[in-house]
Amino acid sequence: MAYPYRDEREVRILSAHFGDPEARTLAGWRQRGGYEALGQALALSPEQVTEIVKNSALRGRGGAGFPTGLKWSFLRNDGRPHYVLVNSDESEPGAFKDRELCRWTPHQLLEGALINAYAIRAQHVYIYMRGEFFEPAQIVARAIDEAYAAGIAGPDVLGSGVTIDVTLHLGAGAYICGEETALMNSLEGRRGQPRVKPPFPAVFGAFGQPTNINNVETLCTVPHIIRNGADWWRSIGTDKSTGTKLFNMSGHLVRRGNFEFPLGFNMKELIYDVCGGIRDGRSLKAVIPGGSSVPMLAAHELDIPCAYERVATAGSKLGTASMIVMDDRTDIVKQVRRMVEFYAHESCGQCTPCREGTAWLARIMRRIEAGQGTEADLALLVDLGKNMTGTTICVLSDSAAAPVLSSLAKFKDEYLALIGRAAPVAAAV
Amino acid sequence: MAEERTPLQGGNPGWAGETGEYGHLTEADVRGTTYVGKRPPEGTSPGASCSYPYQVGGGRPDAPLFEGPYRERLDKILSRYPNRQGALLPVLALAQEIRGHLSPESMAEVAAALGLAPAYVRGVATFYTMYHKRPVGEHLVQVCTNVACNLCGADEVLRAFLAATGTEPGQISADGQYTVIEAECLGACGFPTAVQVNDRYFENVSPEAVPAILERLAQEAAARSSAAARQGS
Amino acid sequence: MANESNETVNVTINGVAAAVPRGARIIEAAEQLGIGIAHYCYHPGLSAPAMCRMCLVEVEGAPKLAPACVTPVAEGQVINTESERARAARTGTLEFYLLNHPLDCPICDKSGECKLQDFTHAEGRPHGRSVEPKRVLGLDDFGGDILYQGNRCIMCTRCVRFMREIAGADLLGVVQRGHRSAIDTFFETGLEGSLWAGNIVDICPVGALLSKDFLHKARVWDLDNTPSVCPNCAQGCNVRLDTRDNLVVRIRPRLNPAVNSYWMCDYGRHQYEWLNQPDRVQTPMQRGAEGELVPVGWQEVLPALLARLQQRHGPLVVLGSPMLGNEDNGLLARLAGRLGGGTLRYRSAQAEAEVPCPGFPALARRRELTANGRGLELLGFQRTGTMAGEGGLTDLAGATVIVLGDALEDQPADFAAGVELLVVLGQRPTAAARSAHYLLPVCTCAEQEGTFPNVHGLVQRFWPALQPPPLARPAWQVLSVLLAGLDDGAPVNSAGGAFLRLGELYPEYAGLSYEQLGSRGALINEPVVRPAGKGA
Ligand SMILES: Cc1cc2nc3c(=O)[nH]c(=O)nc-3n(C[C@H](O)[C@H](O)[C@H](O)COP(=O)(O)O)c2cc1C
Ligand code: SF4
Ligand code: SF4
Ligand code: SF4
Ligand code: FES
Ligand code: FES
Repeated sequence: MAYPYRDEREVRILSAHFGDPEARTLAGWRQRGGYEALGQALALSPEQVTEIVKNSALRGRGGAGFPTGLKWSFLRNDGRPHYVLVNSDESEPGAFKDRELCRWTPHQLLEGALINAYAIRAQHVYIYMRGEFFEPAQIVARAIDEAYAAGIAGPDVLGSGVTIDVTLHLGAGAYICGEETALMNSLEGRRGQPRVKPPFPAVFGAFGQPTNINNVETLCTVPHIIRNGADWWRSIGTDKSTGTKLFNMSGHLVRRGNFEFPLGFNMKELIYDVCGGIRDGRSLKAVIPGGSSVPMLAAHELDIPCAYERVATAGSKLGTASMIVMDDRTDIVKQVRRMVEFYAHESCGQCTPCREGTAWLARIMRRIEAGQGTEADLALLVDLGKNMTGTTICVLSDSAAAPVLSSLAKFKDEYLALIGRAAPVAAAV
Repeated sequence: MAEERTPLQGGNPGWAGETGEYGHLTEADVRGTTYVGKRPPEGTSPGASCSYPYQVGGGRPDAPLFEGPYRERLDKILSRYPNRQGALLPVLALAQEIRGHLSPESMAEVAAALGLAPAYVRGVATFYTMYHKRPVGEHLVQVCTNVACNLCGADEVLRAFLAATGTEPGQISADGQYTVIEAECLGACGFPTAVQVNDRYFENVSPEAVPAILERLAQEAAARSSAAARQGS
Repeated sequence: MANESNETVNVTINGVAAAVPRGARIIEAAEQLGIGIAHYCYHPGLSAPAMCRMCLVEVEGAPKLAPACVTPVAEGQVINTESERARAARTGTLEFYLLNHPLDCPICDKSGECKLQDFTHAEGRPHGRSVEPKRVLGLDDFGGDILYQGNRCIMCTRCVRFMREIAGADLLGVVQRGHRSAIDTFFETGLEGSLWAGNIVDICPVGALLSKDFLHKARVWDLDNTPSVCPNCAQGCNVRLDTRDNLVVRIRPRLNPAVNSYWMCDYGRHQYEWLNQPDRVQTPMQRGAEGELVPVGWQEVLPALLARLQQRHGPLVVLGSPMLGNEDNGLLARLAGRLGGGTLRYRSAQAEAEVPCPGFPALARRRELTANGRGLELLGFQRTGTMAGEGGLTDLAGATVIVLGDALEDQPADFAAGVELLVVLGQRPTAAARSAHYLLPVCTCAEQEGTFPNVHGLVQRFWPALQPPPLARPAWQVLSVLLAGLDDGAPVNSAGGAFLRLGELYPEYAGLSYEQLGSRGALINEPVVRPAGKGA
């Protein structure tokens, strides 16, 4: 039951036990069918487990939507140490699903991670959790301790003879460490800077060894797929976007929070019916549908199914399905400025277009917001945004440009109004 | 703009966010404190899986690093990584837990403990925002002002904290109790405004809730120090 | 890194089809075809982080531009460095570089050899579009010889990688992140501890790292540079002598993959003042009737000297110069032989220990702190005196002493008292040198051509970088005239000719010629064991 509100139309798989403190404990989780899937998986060969996940067409929930089973199949049975990394760095403005999964259902996550480890023959799982998540970290740590004590993690997982260690690793304050290779560097005790790919993690990952990395939500779905089968998962959602997804709804909504729906659920319905529409009787101006890194949609663009492929057709991305909803009073320029400042603050600083570009965008945005912008600034923003896109090691740079470019395309009048305001002031001086 | 706000539907006692339709949940239910149990003041969870730091005030800048129970925690951390460098982030966090911030001396000691170059450790420590390079107040109040919270009045919440503590962002209040800073998204966007105080989140914080939160923090601090005094006597 | 095997792949770069080594990176392959690709973070001697984003090129079929510094070549690859997209990316990225760059070229030491200047002139936007104030960082003293001007830093991290990968001392790091990033040491701990730190000034593509020694000394376009070999230890690093107004103002390494790669040590780098000797022996001189030194022409002095040498009674002691080439010392040894044989010695400074370069172990600052100690040993000279290169000249009573190059700094003004005949072919008129019966002005190694064999027996050429005093001559030339007077061949008129004469007597050099040595040197033949201290 998604938290802190529920809706009859929801299909609750991952979130079935949100808001249920009993479900946190190992005993409670087992009562609810926990760790059955792990037992089932251990009875199969690693390749068979991967095959099931592949057949489910599960796509990664960390933002990029990469097919999970395919990713697992990249790892070779080569006798080298393998690692599973759980990406629990959740820092993208708008996203707050992994925290809920960790704090309500830590064993669900562990079960998924252990199945993943078995499937790729990894001996060690690192759960990389952002350092600010101290409370969820305590819960997950407790769950790990319980799992070790019960022989679910450690030297002989459920009596199978397989060794899988689990370590919780806390980050220390850096959004970029959510990027998979930056996460690996950070885990290794380095500055959290993304690596150049290739080599890809399946060949050269954590500590230089073959590694699989998945988002918390991705791994939380895995036990359900193992238990109920790939066909079952594929029967939910759309052809290209299978299964359910947590929708993280924030902003000017009456009912905010996480809701679990099959992919393909209508965005308008989600916002207006499930979430009760806009607060305080206002109307909707814009939605960022997939976390701050994706282009905005205007009010008239929302009648689309929330599936990866369909949101892409509409000119944005489903990303993490983290929807930030803005009402008609929203100062778009201010909010874009705030997002750009975020990216400037979080750029790791390796790539010049990103290091310099994010800071430059922020300064221009601040000037425009203060009524000191010119029309030339708008053209410059577009040009800089383009120069920052596709030219860097990771896509943080592209992400910083996205809100600027999309808001300029859709809400240019708000920029112009601020510039218009500047003119008389300037003339008066 | 504060005039017509839809009130919270699940009520918000100013601790752990809107509970919506789960109004029966207590703070301990939401925070999971009953499940987690109590950690010993200098220790970690009993299991060997990790050693996460306390993020609480009370660090002593001149305390020795890695002695007694902290040595055990250091060893436990080291046992979880294939090399010593891997332990750098948790060990820096441990040093900060002990001393309250990471001075150059602390960085050098961590470097020595892990066999790393001090300049390297400095490079890593300065990359991450949760390592304090300067002392902070007993309570580090981090107010998320990023977009999802910002839409819902985070700037006002930040101002309210600054006004109530009489500080500028990043300053330590005169009584040494508070440092208020602006934070990036805390991953609690559905519960705006999200505020982190040391190791706890306070969610759905409105400007009006700020005095009550500070009052609670003060009371807890007083309780802690009288408990410590009892122990000392 | 280029593959060792001979396998090649076929690629087309800017329309030029070529077979290039498999495993090479695009930037290296292009280089082979003479196509330069703009870059900042890439340095062939260091790892490649692909972070400056200057080297992006179009690879047909790839959705994104590829960083040429890390992308390996592949069979059939079609690469375009000049496509619309590649050019636009470079121009766009250059604008980001200039955003916070102070453009203080008029007062920047790097001006003229700065890659930011070069690429901006080539492809930058004519006018910056930023109206924002620039970021201002102070000047930071990194300790040792090095200053950091953070405003100019483009965060390529070459310096950080050098210190870590080559110097083997993580003394530098990037601190902070994003646009607040800067390069720094560990607080007050500077770079003093490293013998190799000076290289970061060379590899910094801009004027962010500065040498205190070179600070505002010269504009680089006013410098002449001459390929040479560092004369300061037996490693024989390949260097360039940068000179201005007939003074060496800077020594920088020159690539030699077998000897020093792109690097040199700070000891060698900073020991150049001795090449700039203002106080020189200006003309040949000999003792006059009153016992005073009298200037005399070369034409007169050499026959006179020759006559004196032939009349001598006592033993012959010859002091060679580890700071001069094989040509000079070889002909000196030959002269000794021609005069009936004598004792061959040299003095040289030595360090306590070798200091190897951790990231390039073939390179070490050697114990022998002169370039030609090894060569002298091969020629049969024997080292004498202390580690400081002093003393060891006590048993000269009644001897005829020929001194080459050694300034005799530690010796008294009556050095010649007691010796039968003192001949100095020298550079500096020290008190002891001025006690000579004959004092002949010769060039320093910076003023003439020659060769040094290094610690591994690699003979390397050096070239003249400075003008000698008008009447000074290369020692080999003077010696060959004396030898001619002793019926030992005709005078040679080139250093190369003098080198060939070495081969006649010393099998180590047999068959070698300047042409063969080229700019990277050649190994000597197996050394012959011969009694130390005796000439051939
Ligand atoms: C700047 C940046 C930040 C990211 N942050 C996160 C994050 O916080 N959590 C996450 O799961 N993935 C994040 N990702 C995506 C990861 O790189 C990676 O694609 C993901 O962890 C893969 O897991 P999945 O296949 O299960 O989605 C981020 C990517 C980028 C470029
Ligand atoms: S794009 Fe930005 S965040 Fe990503 S690697 Fe480059 S500088 Fe770092
Ligand atoms: S100081 Fe020079 S070499 Fe070092 S990062 Fe800056 S520009 Fe590059
Ligand atoms: S190692 Fe020797 S030859 Fe090389 S620079 Fe140093 S002193 Fe000169
Ligand atoms: S935007 Fe405030 S917690 Fe995410
Ligand atoms: S040279 Fe290729 S990215 Fe810097």
